[in-house]
Amino acid sequence: MKRIFINQELCQGCRNCQLACMAGHTAEQSVLYLDLEDPANRAWNFIEAGPHGPAPILCRHCDEPACVIACMSGALTKNSATGTVDQDPEKCAGCWMCVMSCPFGVIRPNGRESKVAVKCDFCSGRPFPNCVEACPTGALTLIEVDAQGAVKKICPPDSMAGETAPEEVCNQ
Amino acid sequence: MRYLILGASAAGINAAKTIRQLDGAGEITLISRDEQVYSRCMLHLLISGERSPEQAGFAEADFFKRYKVCWLAGREAIGLNTADKKVKLSNGEEKRYDRLLIATGASSVLPPVENLARGKQVRGLHHLADAQAIARLAGETDAAAVIGAGLVGMDAAYALARRGVKVSVIEAAGQLLPLQLDRRAAAKYEQLCRQRGMEFFCGETVESVLLDARDNVRGLKLKSGKTVPCGMVVVAAGVRPNVEFLAGTPIETGRGVKVDEFQETAVTGVFAAGDVCESRETFTGRIMLTPVWPAAVKQGQAAGFNMAGVPKRMEDNFAFRNAMTFCGIPAVSFGFINAPDASYRELIDEDAGVYKKVILRDGRIKGAVLQGDITGAGLLAALCKEGIDITGEQQERIFELTYADFFAQKEDGAFYFDSKRFPSSYPQVTSIKAI
Repeated sequence: MKRIFINQELCQGCRNCQLACMAGHTAEQSVLYLDLEDPANRAWNFIEAGPHGPAPILCRHCDEPACVIACMSGALTKNSATGTVDQDPEKCAGCWMCVMSCPFGVIRPNGRESKVAVKCDFCSGRPFPNCVEACPTGALTLIEVDAQGAVKKICPPDSMAGETAPEEVCNQ
Repeated sequence: MRYLILGASAAGINAAKTIRQLDGAGEITLISRDEQVYSRCMLHLLISGERSPEQAGFAEADFFKRYKVCWLAGREAIGLNTADKKVKLSNGEEKRYDRLLIATGASSVLPPVENLARGKQVRGLHHLADAQAIARLAGETDAAAVIGAGLVGMDAAYALARRGVKVSVIEAAGQLLPLQLDRRAAAKYEQLCRQRGMEFFCGETVESVLLDARDNVRGLKLKSGKTVPCGMVVVAAGVRPNVEFLAGTPIETGRGVKVDEFQETAVTGVFAAGDVCESRETFTGRIMLTPVWPAAVKQGQAAGFNMAGVPKRMEDNFAFRNAMTFCGIPAVSFGFINAPDASYRELIDEDAGVYKKVILRDGRIKGAVLQGDITGAGLLAALCKEGIDITGEQQERIFELTYADFFAQKEDGAFYFDSKRFPSSYPQVTSIKAI
């Protein structure tokens, strides 16, 4: 499965990843048209102040996801093919058992009315999640974890890497 | 290998799925009284009319086909012979097994109240048919009474109120949701529910159900002498594990089926999981019933592993946790909801519409009540469960803590709580009386 690896020391707390997440989940797909005051546009990833500077807190799509175990409506499922923890908002009953259970505080009530929970969808369908693409410091990178737990870094194609993804990060 | 599973709710379904993932060839049979797989936690949504029975499912629509499980619905176990390894079913059939899972759940109990069993419009709320019957009865009356203001009672009462029925709730404790919330948070919900026309009788018990000559419900008479007029009664005064069919077998039972940390009963090859079993609960460290959804799922999965021959201990058997929403306000609680004695401290954070209380002892979180803003509730629960010492600066900022304060990541990107940086001790609780 793919996972977003966090290099916390490289995070500058610019929140570009949050803007990209918010914009990526609107119809316009653009930061330019993003209404930051609309609670429906909340980011699904977080930058929180930690003892060693800012820390990106992103859904881990856990191997044994506490949110899925707690979900009594079938809205949250662990996708055995992709490894992602998927959410079906149509099924969500807003019972908040997942919010009560995520040890990292990632899944939250969403939207204006807070009737359903919402979480990272790994930008389903995109080869690279918006947050990874938008991170200018290399704090967020994509990795592939195989069934044996071996980890391999996935580098974005040159066109995406631009000048903001330092080469040494890809060569680690 | 022949696997036989009794019950089609959280534990049974998750056990079947787990077994199939580990044993592609084994023969899995699932027996259930239920003729549909549905989430008991969503039954109130059928009463309010927000969901249809079809929308109350929690498993994939093609579950039994996908995981190659033979499902025999509309029947239940009425006897067990552990020597011959066979189960007797209510339709006369007998089923043989090599590994058996008892996940028969619980049933609502009728308290010993005069006329309660006689009244025609009296229902518990535990099965799909109960929810459907309550919804039907609600269409025939304009006033309902709910006995018990626990989560099931409150869900039922709130759903009936949403349908426009005048609802009176009778609760023996001095507040609603007495096991889930402290007085302050309960009072908030009570106030909001009253604004929606609901009536509460806390600290009251029911003496009898008032019936007409044809046993139709006309009201409740309370011990205090008050009368509550109503045309139907929902009983939510607790549940009892479905263990009757195990009488006379070597399966050890207390209030529920006793299991070890591998979910195995006193009889080798026979397992139990979910509301029917009693196991060592993580927060208290005691053997007890653990009737919450996440525990049932995990126990079902653990049982599935062990039945398929892959040893797996049941961990995180944390049953003292609840999540809810009434009147648009979410709440979460876990552990102690009130400080049990003077060795515990209560820290409170209040803001417009938000109430947060954390209970601490020796720098460790022992419980919390969060209402209005439940963001990050899982982190506090994890700190409680892991027994992480947050003495000092973290304790000062307890209501602002995020996972950034504990950030630790494995090579594969998984988060964890680093025991070197944050020494933990297994939670030791000396008294559970206050829970």
